[in-house]
Amino acid sequence: MANPRPTALWMGRAGFAALSLLLIFIGLLPLDMQPPRWAGPDLLLALVLLWTLRRPRLAPVWLVAAVMLLADFLFQRPPGLMAALTVIGTEMLRRRQSRLRAGGFATEWGAASLAVAGILAASQLALLITVVPAPPPMLVASQALATVLAYPLLAFAARWLLGIERSPTDIRRRTAA
Amino acid sequence: MARPRHSGDEFARPIRRLLVGLLLLALLALFALWRIDSPRVERMRAEVVDRVLPSFDWALAPVTGLVTMASNFQSYAHLHEQNQQLRRELQQMRAWREAALQLEQENAKLLDLNNVRLDPRLTYITGVVMADSGSPFRQSVLVNVGARDGVLDGWPAMDGIGLVGRISGVGQATSRVLLLTDTSSRIPVTIQPSGQRAILAGDNTTYPPIDFLENPDLVRPGDRVVSSGDGGMFPADLLVGQVTMGADGRLRIRLAADYERLEFLRVLRSHQAETVDEAGRLIVPEPREVFGPPAPAPESLGLTGAAADAGAESPDG
Repeated sequence: MANPRPTALWMGRAGFAALSLLLIFIGLLPLDMQPPRWAGPDLLLALVLLWTLRRPRLAPVWLVAAVMLLADFLFQRPPGLMAALTVIGTEMLRRRQSRLRAGGFATEWGAASLAVAGILAASQLALLITVVPAPPPMLVASQALATVLAYPLLAFAARWLLGIERSPTDIRRRTAA
Repeated sequence: MARPRHSGDEFARPIRRLLVGLLLLALLALFALWRIDSPRVERMRAEVVDRVLPSFDWALAPVTGLVTMASNFQSYAHLHEQNQQLRRELQQMRAWREAALQLEQENAKLLDLNNVRLDPRLTYITGVVMADSGSPFRQSVLVNVGARDGVLDGWPAMDGIGLVGRISGVGQATSRVLLLTDTSSRIPVTIQPSGQRAILAGDNTTYPPIDFLENPDLVRPGDRVVSSGDGGMFPADLLVGQVTMGADGRLRIRLAADYERLEFLRVLRSHQAETVDEAGRLIVPEPREVFGPPAPAPESLGLTGAAADAGAESPDG
C-alpha cells in the first residue's frame, strides 16, 4: 500500500493516541458528581469512528482496542466489552471504507451513526444476556443520540484544527488500481 | 463492486483477519472472566487505575481548579447579595450553636450517667478527590488514599456532613468510592423519629429512593435518615440525609452530603467485618433433663453434652 513515510505514519498514530488520552482525561475530571439527567456524547467513540473512516491507517485495530480497553478500565465499564464491540464496529466500517468514501459526508455520518447505535445497543444486549446490571435504557439512548449529533461537530473540528478531511489518497489509489 | 487490491493483500488479508479475530477473542475472554470472577478482574482494574491516574494527577488538579475558579467567578456578581444572606444565616447559626453546646453537655452528662462507652476506634483518613468515574452511568470518585494508608474495601466515606459512599476497589495509592447514587449501591438506613429500617437504593438519580420500607405511613418528608449499622456494613448513626417525596410519589432521600462539590472525603476506619472462615457446624441443643428411667451410660451422655456445649459456643467466639 502507499506508505511513503513511516515516521509520518507513526506520528499520526501517536497523535491519535494522545487525542484519545486527552478525551479520557477530560472525562475523568471531577467537575460534576451529580448523576446526569441526560448523558452527554461519548466523544471517544466518535473520535475512534471518525479516524477509522477518514484516516484508517492512523487508527489501526490494535490501537483502537488498546484505547477502548483503557477507557473500559478507567470508566468503570465491564472490561473488554466495549473494546470488543468497538473493534467489531470499526472493522465493519474499515471493510466498507472504499464504498463509503465514494458517498458524501451524509453517507459517512450515516455509517458512523449506525455504528454508534449498533455498538451501544449490542453492549446493552450483552449486559442483559450476561445478567449484569445495565445502565438505564433512556440514558443510553440519549448518549447514542448525543454521540450521533456530536459527530459532525467533531468532524468539523478535526477538519479545521487538524486537517483531517476526507482523505484524497485512497481515492487516488482507487482510480489508480 | 471491485475492491482495489494490492498484490500483497491476498496474503496479508487472511492473516490480518486471524489476528483481529484473536484480539476479539481475547477481549471477550476478558469480559467473560470479569463476569465469572469479578473480584480478580476488579483488582486488576484497581491496579490499572493506580498505575494510570497518578500520572494524570499533575494535570487533573490544576485543570479542575481552573474550571472551578471560572464557575466561581460568575458568582462574584451576586457577592453582595450573598454576603447579606450569609450574615443572616450566621446569626441564626449562633443561636443554633448555643443550643448545640448545651445539648452536647447534656448528652455528655447522660452518657456518663449511663456509663456508655462510645467506640474509640472510629477514626478517619481524609483524602482528596482525584477523578470521577468518567461515565454517565456510574457514580463513583477516586480518592488519593489507598492500601498504603490502610484503606480497606467497604469502609464508609463522608464529606464534612453526611455519608457519601463506600470504598469499593483499593489500589496502592488510590481507592474508589462508590457513591450512594450509583445503581449498585445499597445501604441499610434508619429513618429517625419512627425508627423504621429501610434500604437506600441508588438509581443514578440525584435523589435515591427508599426501598423495603415496612410502613410508609409512619414516614413523612423531612425525617432524618441515618445509617443503621445493620449487617455490620457501616457504623450506625452516620447522617445520610432527609426524606423527600419525589415527583412520582415515591419516598426519596435528599442526601446531606454536598454532591456538587466533593473535594475532600473522610474515609472512616470501620470495624473489621466479621468473616466466616470455617464451614458451618450443627448447633446441637443442650441436653435436656431426662425424666424416667436413667440413661444407660451416664458418662457418654456427659461427654456428648460437653461436646455440644463446645460446638454451640465456638461459632460465637
